[in-house]
Amino acid sequence: MSAPTKRHLPLTLGYRKTKAVVRGKDKKVTLNLTSMIDMFTILVVFLLKSYSAEGQIVSLSDALTLPESSSERKIELNLEIIVTNDAIIVDGEPIVFVDELILSEGNPIPVLVERLSDHLEYTRQMRGIIDETEMRVNIQGDVATRAILLQRVMSSCAQAGYTTQNLTVIKVEGDDEQ
Amino acid sequence: MAKAATGRSHRIRHVSELDLLPVMNLFCVIIPFLLLSASFLEITIIEMSPTEGISTGAGTTSLAQSEEQQLQPKIILTNEEMFLGTVFGTRSIGRVFLEDRHGEMVNTYDYDALSDALGDFREELDGAFPTIPVHKITILTVDDVRYDNIVMTIDVCAYHAFDQPGLQVAAYNVLQRQIFAGAAGE
Repeated sequence: MSAPTKRHLPLTLGYRKTKAVVRGKDKKVTLNLTSMIDMFTILVVFLLKSYSAEGQIVSLSDALTLPESSSERKIELNLEIIVTNDAIIVDGEPIVFVDELILSEGNPIPVLVERLSDHLEYTRQMRGIIDETEMRVNIQGDVATRAILLQRVMSSCAQAGYTTQNLTVIKVEGDDEQ
Repeated sequence: MAKAATGRSHRIRHVSELDLLPVMNLFCVIIPFLLLSASFLEITIIEMSPTEGISTGAGTTSLAQSEEQQLQPKIILTNEEMFLGTVFGTRSIGRVFLEDRHGEMVNTYDYDALSDALGDFREELDGAFPTIPVHKITILTVDDVRYDNIVMTIDVCAYHAFDQPGLQVAAYNVLQRQIFAGAAGE
């Protein structure tokens, strides 16, 4: 059989095949995975470092931006109170809508005290006994929340029986010197 | 030309390659799992200490507690200035200035100056009253101080071992009285 002429070459090779491909037809092509393994190893180490076995025990509201702090105290699963400039939300339920009247006084907010007392009473009935861990609340406040609102929420918590109030913050790496 | 007899085998030695595919498979499983359970945002808490404005109903006051209460400092935040009130007197830390925070110009305070002042106070306190551990601090503000400013103040306090902060909000004239009373007692 004579060698194919230049004119017939595409027919032999196929239009999409080059000569090099045809020549190396029998060779086994292996992918070099070493660099990918290197990258994956770095990725796995990074992800393992930020792995949380506890899972997410707090749901952050989109309506607020938490302040940053260098506090290292781990968050515990407690009753959540969300304080924004628009509303005070207890356990996902809006209780008080913030207006000028709310911001003009400094006493506990009666509606909030009532709701918190009900919650504490419900916990008491469900568990039979209330220990110190049940008397804790986590307060998620927006960075722009005014001090008076925060103080009113805290004093409402205290009046309802929640003796320990924790402020929820986003941890930042603290400087060596402030 | 004949090759010189070396006595060595001329067989081609194949370098054995490690089969990385099982490792890749493992990584492909483990990476999505870790991505899902990774927490890139670490949430922590600041435990607030009850202050006079936030009563707990507990009426136990020992002598050591009352001494600590007498020695506990107060940081006073007004809309114009920040003060540090201690047993040694009340003094100004610095005036309020504007800072760009997330694209918004907001009032802020000189936290470096506060840190220096609290550091000095901590040294004086440990020198004069070494047996009384003072960890409580009160942050006394006017009603419209931003929450992030309060948290930043708490952070500076915690750095100097004043790690039991309490919050009190008072009207401006009440704060003025506190400042003048502290300054007069200096």
